[in-house]
Amino acid sequence: MTESLDPRIRRADLEASPASSGLKQNEHWETYAIFHQDKRGAAHEFVGIVHAPDPELALVFAKEQFGRRKKTVNLWAVRSSDIYTFQHEDDDMFSTVPDKNYREASGYPVRKRINKYLFDQKEEEASKA
Amino acid sequence: MYGNAYIEPDSELAAKMAASREEDPEKLAEFEARIARGEKIEPDDWMPAEYRRQLLRMIEQHAHSEIIGALPEGTWITRAPTLRRKLALIAKVQDEVGHGHLLYSAAETLGKSREAMINDLISGKSKYSNIFNYPAKTWADIAVIGFLVDAGAIVNQLANAKGSYGPYCRALERICYEESFHLKQGYDAFVALAVGTPVQREMLQDALNRWWFPPMMHFFGPPDTISVHTEKLMRWKVKMASNEEMRQDFIEQYVPKIWELGMTLPDPALRKDEATGVWEYTQPDWDEFFRVINGDGLCNKERLAVRRYAEENGRWVREALMNPIQKRMVPYA
Amino acid sequence: MNNAIKDLLFRLADDELVLGHRNSEWTGLGPILEEDIAFSSIAQDQIGHAVANYTLLHESAAADEPLPDAIAFGRNEKQFFSSQFTELPIGDYAFSLIRHFLFDHAEMLRYELLTASSFAPLAALARKIKGELKYHVLHADLWVSKLGQGTEESRARMQTALNEAWPYALGMFEPSDYEAELVTNGIFSGEEGLQESWLEVVAPIIEKAGLTIPQASEPKYGGRHGYHTEHLQPLLDEMTEVYRLDPAAIW
Repeated sequence: MTESLDPRIRRADLEASPASSGLKQNEHWETYAIFHQDKRGAAHEFVGIVHAPDPELALVFAKEQFGRRKKTVNLWAVRSSDIYTFQHEDDDMFSTVPDKNYREASGYPVRKRINKYLFDQKEEEASKA
Repeated sequence: MYGNAYIEPDSELAAKMAASREEDPEKLAEFEARIARGEKIEPDDWMPAEYRRQLLRMIEQHAHSEIIGALPEGTWITRAPTLRRKLALIAKVQDEVGHGHLLYSAAETLGKSREAMINDLISGKSKYSNIFNYPAKTWADIAVIGFLVDAGAIVNQLANAKGSYGPYCRALERICYEESFHLKQGYDAFVALAVGTPVQREMLQDALNRWWFPPMMHFFGPPDTISVHTEKLMRWKVKMASNEEMRQDFIEQYVPKIWELGMTLPDPALRKDEATGVWEYTQPDWDEFFRVINGDGLCNKERLAVRRYAEENGRWVREALMNPIQKRMVPYA
Repeated sequence: MNNAIKDLLFRLADDELVLGHRNSEWTGLGPILEEDIAFSSIAQDQIGHAVANYTLLHESAAADEPLPDAIAFGRNEKQFFSSQFTELPIGDYAFSLIRHFLFDHAEMLRYELLTASSFAPLAALARKIKGELKYHVLHADLWVSKLGQGTEESRARMQTALNEAWPYALGMFEPSDYEAELVTNGIFSGEEGLQESWLEVVAPIIEKAGLTIPQASEPKYGGRHGYHTEHLQPLLDEMTEVYRLDPAAIW
């Protein structure tokens, strides 16, 4: 191998480093889901994961991987295995049937009834007079 | 129906992958219809085994490329010529590591652990972009890599960001945002040399001469032969544009910026056919392309040796905090 | 008074530049991706603090001082007033972490004192970088405590690193020739007091991590007066290699 152009690599003794026996399972620890808050009052939003051995280092790592560019006021780290979720294949559970307008603001046209009431009142007064 | 937001690789994932292998035609039709509607595929969705395999290969290689790509540029970290360039270069190499992190996270959702991916990188089993097997000989190489090579990467990544796999798209969205900083700072360093002293222009021209063909070859590859296989990958939105389309896009956007500064490119045939709008160019040396791919580039050995060294060097740190009996899981990123 | 401020700013800036340069050597080669990113940010912060102090030198302290790049890239080792601690090679990750821990705690306290400096531009800068230093010490404290209590190997490496680092760390508090003037004029309250409060902060953390401060160490002085180890001039030669290629060039 020709000599490296990188002075950092020339200082490192590549030949002396032990032959790689490969990384072990779990050598990169476990994963934490990171939630990012960009300003006070905003909700924390999922932005990705970090590998960390514990929650403290997860936050310290997340601070630079997810907070170094975006405006950030706070982060949460949650062990990935502690997140409970539905399966995407069941997303039909979430589709709203059109006649469920009792859950929508548009399902309550109150003004129409008030107007009718006011009109009837007027009619009644007129007929009395 | 519901459960923890991860897959246990040994049981559930194996079952899922076995199920995928059966290629249930009804599920396949549903899967393809979803993609055709422009919807994304998420990690817990049913997907054809071939889709999973191709995506994993692609995202993993992309992640490796970022980590290995940090090495040629890292060559000049300690020698950047101003405080601002020094800060920008460190930040840029840091971003490449950050991109590797985001891409490994996306690849992990497909069922392969980060440890296994890194093992396959350092054993040479999995590949990375061969562009990083060329040396960064002078400071001007940093300017050219930051401009020209990143430009090639952006053309690629912007295309892939419109792909079908949710986690990959999410990673690429952030990566493309950061790449725009890379390109700008690369262009700035490039212009500084181009408008500079004769010494600076000369080193820039030399770097351009060496760095013109590598991205032309390695980012976009030989013109595709449209096989049934390629068609399927395009239908599944794994492959988003043909090699030649991306190469044309790259030339169209960046060559005029180089010529404008009175710099030249080492291809006398390079010109735009004004009638068709298509750029003509000399075919790169495809033999060299295959030689580098097969491990005979100038830096293949060093890149892997350095990566192996870094992994070995950091092992005691990782081992000190590791929990060997912890159950492995595939996170959703 | 002017010379005293200049001397102080050179010491502050040169420490941060030389150590930031050293720490940036890990970028892309760190022990795990997440830590690679975190440590690179710390290196960038340090170089950033150097830039801020060189800018103060140029703008507020002395009209005859050149632009920050010329100050950073235009001097030889005799003209550098960084402590010898900062110029030592990166060593293994244990050494780099221990140095970061010992150095950033000193920086944190130093800049805290400087927020009350009578030299207003420096007091303003000290207030600005407080947040970055808070993260540096959080990062350093976690690593020292975890690796001190990790495996037998990690504990041994951390202890070896601490033994090597300690006399040089004490060298950070080498008094300057302008000590009395700085104190009298309320610019900076002095190295001696700083060293005492630093020791009060780092000693319990080291102890809690299961590590031991080496006994009876002679501080490695000299750096604050331009006397350096064999490592600084090669570092500067490397750092300025491109800068020196063409004196007329703007990079």
